Amino acid sequence: MAITSVKNLKEFSTVNERFEGAHLLCPGCAHSMIVRELMNCSDDNLVISTNTGCLEVSTAVYPYTSWDTSWIHIGFENAATAAAGAEAMYKARKRKGTLKNPDAPVKFVAFGGDGSTYDIGFQWLSGAVERGHNFTYICLDNENYANTGGQRSSSTPIGASTTTAPAGRVSYGEKRNKKDMMAIMAANGASYVAQVAPNKWKNMAQAFQKALSIDGPCYINALSACTTEWKFDPKDTINISDLATDSLVFPLYEIIDGTELNITYRPKNILPVKDYLAAQGRFKHLFKPENAHILEEWQKRVDAKWEYLQRREEARV
Amino acid sequence: MAEKIDLQEIEVWDGNYAAAHALRQAQIDVVAAYPITPSTPIVEGYASFMADGYIDGEFVMVESEHAAMSGCVGAAAAGGRVATATSSQGFALMVEVLYQASGMRLPIVLNVANRALAAPLNVRGDHSDMYLGRDSGWVQMDAFNAQEVYDMNLCAFRVGEHPDIRLPVMVHQDGFLTSHTAQNVRPLSDDDAYKFVGVFQPVEEMLDFSRPVTHGAQTEEDWHFEHKARQHKALMDARPVIESVFAEFEKVSGRKYKRVESYMIEDAEVIIVALGSTVESARLAAQQLRDEEGIKAGVVGPRVIRPFPFDAIRDALENCKAIGAMDRSCPGGALGMLFNEVSAAVYATAKRPLVTNYIYGLGGRDLSIVDIKAIFRELKANADAGKITTQIQQFIGLRGPKLGFFETREGK
Amino acid sequence: MSNVLSNEKRGMRELGAEKKVGWDEVTHGVVLHSFEDDATDVATRKAEDRNYSEFNSYTATVASWRVVKPVYNRDICIDCQNCWVWCPDSSIISRDKQILGIDYDHCKGCGVCVEVCPTNPKSLLMFGEAISSDDAIAQWPVKEKKEK
Repeated sequence: MAITSVKNLKEFSTVNERFEGAHLLCPGCAHSMIVRELMNCSDDNLVISTNTGCLEVSTAVYPYTSWDTSWIHIGFENAATAAAGAEAMYKARKRKGTLKNPDAPVKFVAFGGDGSTYDIGFQWLSGAVERGHNFTYICLDNENYANTGGQRSSSTPIGASTTTAPAGRVSYGEKRNKKDMMAIMAANGASYVAQVAPNKWKNMAQAFQKALSIDGPCYINALSACTTEWKFDPKDTINISDLATDSLVFPLYEIIDGTELNITYRPKNILPVKDYLAAQGRFKHLFKPENAHILEEWQKRVDAKWEYLQRREEARV
Repeated sequence: MAEKIDLQEIEVWDGNYAAAHALRQAQIDVVAAYPITPSTPIVEGYASFMADGYIDGEFVMVESEHAAMSGCVGAAAAGGRVATATSSQGFALMVEVLYQASGMRLPIVLNVANRALAAPLNVRGDHSDMYLGRDSGWVQMDAFNAQEVYDMNLCAFRVGEHPDIRLPVMVHQDGFLTSHTAQNVRPLSDDDAYKFVGVFQPVEEMLDFSRPVTHGAQTEEDWHFEHKARQHKALMDARPVIESVFAEFEKVSGRKYKRVESYMIEDAEVIIVALGSTVESARLAAQQLRDEEGIKAGVVGPRVIRPFPFDAIRDALENCKAIGAMDRSCPGGALGMLFNEVSAAVYATAKRPLVTNYIYGLGGRDLSIVDIKAIFRELKANADAGKITTQIQQFIGLRGPKLGFFETREGK
Repeated sequence: MSNVLSNEKRGMRELGAEKKVGWDEVTHGVVLHSFEDDATDVATRKAEDRNYSEFNSYTATVASWRVVKPVYNRDICIDCQNCWVWCPDSSIISRDKQILGIDYDHCKGCGVCVEVCPTNPKSLLMFGEAISSDDAIAQWPVKEKKEK
């Protein structure tokens, strides 16, 4: 694989972009930062599939495409299977000698939002990973069904206000904890899973390159702070992402072959979870006195998860 | 390199196994499949061929039928020959992807062993699943017996992959009645079959890196109508392509197929229109009635369901007096699909023969030649009276009080 | 407004302003091609050297989305490339590890580039859409004293 140098940002900036502007994503959208970076991480030919969602609907509306590589969208659930089918075709045609450029390297990448990854497309992703297809699945996790106006998904964290689990007079919003896709994918047999965030560009780029170079199914959970549905100013996408990673609400770690867990980012100063929650409109109701226990529960849970990650990293299991 | 099989001049295959062999001979690149009764043996036969070294392509056993068709679409967009098989609930599960496949204009061959749709759950043969896919935008062909399953599969690749068409194609067969009934099948040799099907020509494929291509874009109100119209036109344009493929197939096999198969219609007074194995039963009933009772009976079996052979049906039926359109699917509050479409074709004739609707055989309920003869006699009564003498729609072969719906204005 | 390193096709038309052709002229199967000709080595070519097709969003402009725009100040910039890596709209033009400026055809005015700029004063600041680059730079603030 032709690896773009990610030694430092100046080196990285010499790549040739393959994700074009004038797409329809919201100003400040992190999806675009993540997709741009993935496509800049490799000079290889890419075959990319995408589930229905913000990314798909903003980058391929006839008569425009923002993709400079081959790309396919079928439906809401099945980007993983589209990639799997294309990968199987690649193997068949390579064996039969019917490829136009048989020696050209190619990587198969599937994108999906949290709605299509955690919920409606879960079976498709699980099947593709279980069958061991050589592809990388990247979840653009903005913790809601953003494309349709901000409904809850199983990625929505407790206490968040969404349109289908809104905060109101008798409710503090989402009642369920965020589903742990990292653990699920690791147990499902993914060769490599990693949780990344665009504010840590180098960490993310290294995770992408590792996934692309591994022969097997890889799953990447990428934090995609959503200005529109999380309710913060578009200019603050990276600031919010910093709060997420530095408060350990969104810890960055990887699991290799389902057993070897490595924490990939240790904040110098760990920020209180409250700071992360306070910066977003979707959590502002949690600062009412009657919801104080939710804030406490948040901090406890984040602390417990961080403790767990460190112990597992140490135990090497 | 895949090994070939030396087939005999006459093989004894059921519809499923005939399909499996046809798929093997077509040298498919990717089969993405999921098992469901009664189509499962197609996939099992194919898997067995794989395990014994008779297939070069990839075989992906996915985790649901929706994933099967999704995998086929992804693989087809990556520029190769693709096929799968399903029935009933699996067909229903993949319906969303059927529309996506045809809208994306990707040639894929789908074998459907027609089976009832739940609820109640039933694994036997009827046409509910076929009817569910009516508007999915696929070319749809119907096989009445195992030989035709084999032949239609080979023709399906040619039709779907034709450069002017480029649409996915279904090959229907009756679940259990055809799929599990062993019959004599005269196959082509592996070489002749592949020569007929031809080498796959990739078009707009994702693995041609000199031309990156975007598949499955969204269209808003400014563009959707034009794309769907173009797709509909392509499906309509399949009519002459199908005829030319059938003509070519006749040269290599000696078997002649038409978009509408007609039996004894030249002088027929009464005609039954049906699909699947019922066509063959109806032919026997018609012959017996001619011999025994002098009723001039004929049978019309649409070989191509989509694009609906409006012209050929109209021409086949315009001179008879009474028609019985038989639907093997629960009509869900209306007249049956075949009745509706046949009536539309017949309405466009000068004489407008009478048309009535028979709902039959749901969930694998047998329909005997005795029952079909009774239908012909009712049609004869209509023809003689010059009007419909029963309710327009009747359920036949049903236990319990007579069940019928829809009256003509002059009716009882 | 100067256009930094543009391909003549960049930002040719507003989204929605393309010619509305009939059913017989739309692309087959809603398929879209990204480039006009052989794009085998497109990953080795810069945007200004690519043969974009009229179906590539590169040829459209979203300038009308903006009410405010970032202005770039070459004299202060240290070429850290933060703005380049985090621009959601591929609108920071960087060549040979140097920032050249902003692609105003594709910039939506989100302001992320300003936020992530580390210099003091910042090398990118938001101004009203109508202001010229020269006037903006003339108004550039001086170094901020950090609060203790």
